[in-house]
Amino acid sequence: MFQFINTLLIGITAGSIYSLMAIAIVLVWRSTRVVNFAQGGLALASSFVGASILAREISFWIALPLAMFAGALFSALTEYFLLRPLLKRSGDKGEEIFLPIIATLGLLGIIKTILNFTYGDRIGSIPPPISDRGFVVSGQVIALSPMRVLILGIVLVLMVLLTYLFQRTNLGLSLRASSYAPEISRLAGVRVDLIRTAGWAISGAAGAAAGILQTTNGSGAISPESFEFSLLLVFGFVAAVIGGIESLIGAVLGGLTLGIILAFILMYIGGSLVFFSAFLILIVILIVRPQGIIGVKGGRRA
Amino acid sequence: MHKLQNLRFRTAIGFSLIGLFVFFLSNVVDEWRSFQGATVAVYVVAIASIILLTGYSGQISLGHGALLAIGAYAAALAQIYAHLPIWLCFVTAVLVTAFFGALLGVAAARLSGPYLAGTTLALAVGLPSIASQFSFLGGEQGISFSVGWPPLSLGSDFTQYKWFFWIATIAALIMMWFVRNILHSRYGRMWRAVKSNAVAAELTGIRIGASKVLAFTISSGVAGLAGALLAMITNNVSPSAFPLALSFSLATGAVLSGVNTLGGVMIGSLALVAIPEIASSASHLWSGSENTAMLLPELIVSALLILTVFLAPKGPIEKLRARHHR
Repeated sequence: MFQFINTLLIGITAGSIYSLMAIAIVLVWRSTRVVNFAQGGLALASSFVGASILAREISFWIALPLAMFAGALFSALTEYFLLRPLLKRSGDKGEEIFLPIIATLGLLGIIKTILNFTYGDRIGSIPPPISDRGFVVSGQVIALSPMRVLILGIVLVLMVLLTYLFQRTNLGLSLRASSYAPEISRLAGVRVDLIRTAGWAISGAAGAAAGILQTTNGSGAISPESFEFSLLLVFGFVAAVIGGIESLIGAVLGGLTLGIILAFILMYIGGSLVFFSAFLILIVILIVRPQGIIGVKGGRRA
Repeated sequence: MHKLQNLRFRTAIGFSLIGLFVFFLSNVVDEWRSFQGATVAVYVVAIASIILLTGYSGQISLGHGALLAIGAYAAALAQIYAHLPIWLCFVTAVLVTAFFGALLGVAAARLSGPYLAGTTLALAVGLPSIASQFSFLGGEQGISFSVGWPPLSLGSDFTQYKWFFWIATIAALIMMWFVRNILHSRYGRMWRAVKSNAVAAELTGIRIGASKVLAFTISSGVAGLAGALLAMITNNVSPSAFPLALSFSLATGAVLSGVNTLGGVMIGSLALVAIPEIASSASHLWSGSENTAMLLPELIVSALLILTVFLAPKGPIEKLRARHHR
């Protein structure tokens, strides 16, 4: 029972970080119909920004927003200089989702080499700002630590902010409108191109937060060849697809589902099956519901 | 009819010329070049399978590395446990991978766009790692796969890598012949019809689901052969031989070749092998630092990817063709 609750807590924490990454992927998908494979690389670059701010003895509470701002900037630049010209050239033919994927893979390689050139073998570190020793409940140390509470808190605050942004502000309305019907929104006076860049920027900020939280929740160290960030991308993407790739709530549900199930498999079955289980979870959910947990069925036929 | 026969004749000549060229090439190059030649042949087969799936049937796969892994393990297991002769090991690899591909294809046919990309990506990450769970798959060290020494009848100075080069080239030529023919058959036309307009294709009586599953099955079989060939030239099958990076570089190769044209497949395969080589010798001339030599290939490949996507989104061959017709 004790181990069960511990596993659940670990799963929820990991899952909330995957949710954040999934949200980043969903935002990009909604604004431009592109799967951004450089998302992990952008998160890595922004985490390096965070780490180098922290290295100057500046507080975590300044480093986190600055890293998120850097993430937003990187992401917006990516949209403006890479994806916008690409989508203009290839026309809005839905057929080729392959090309943007390849372009962002290329960007991922470039980001990695730039980080490698600048940082080389030096490893950045993002130590937990508060204790990551678990609370003691009736004499036993549980998996919930102040740091994990903080992670859950940050994710929750960001989600509330996002929900508020999407439901209650003009920007949110334009974001929803231009992903739902770009042409009509354009006619209604929404500057769709600008809004798309804004969507990417928000996504970049979410990705940066996911990157920093993932690092503090894991080893606390980042390197340009970090495996954790490829995982963050893969699990974030899987979570987004499970959730139906269109929906923010779906992304959160997908992330939590994935995090919790994977934590149980890691605890009770074994580490080498974790990645394969992610695939199995995905394929089982997609066979039952090809459009994800929260997804609209077959809107774009014919 | 005359035109068709003419086409067949020209392909036959083309294939024989490539075969002859490789035959002469293998006699003049050293061991390392033979190894690289064999690697190019492996990539040709693997990229052809992606082009068949993505370019013709319109399904995305970011997980072909996993299919290569299935083929490699199938070939090695057939050799270790069933003691099959070597050519039957390759056939086993094709059949077993095609079988798994059919299972996967049934799921994939229901999915599209990002869903399919996500599923195949998760497969690429997940599948190789389960090998360490089962002892008969050899764990992290993997299991060995050996085609043996070249037969003595070829002469005593016939080297091991030259033998690999020959086998891989012959296998690649046979596979390309097969893929080329199937793309020109009614199945190929069916796939292209489904890709360009699914509803219209359905109205003409094509069963969309079945056609997609068939494409996935055949593509997997071809990828399985590539996996077995890869195992042959490295003498070993282990999970670390099939990282996510392999799947990505195969997708890269497919884009550099032009996803919609089978003929470009040599360009992508040569690029994947030649760029690291050129980049490392260039950086040795240039600065000599180890770090640059390690990073330059990735930078060049990445930049090339972005350039290709912008300048020749349909691949270099289509680009030339379009210019020619203008």
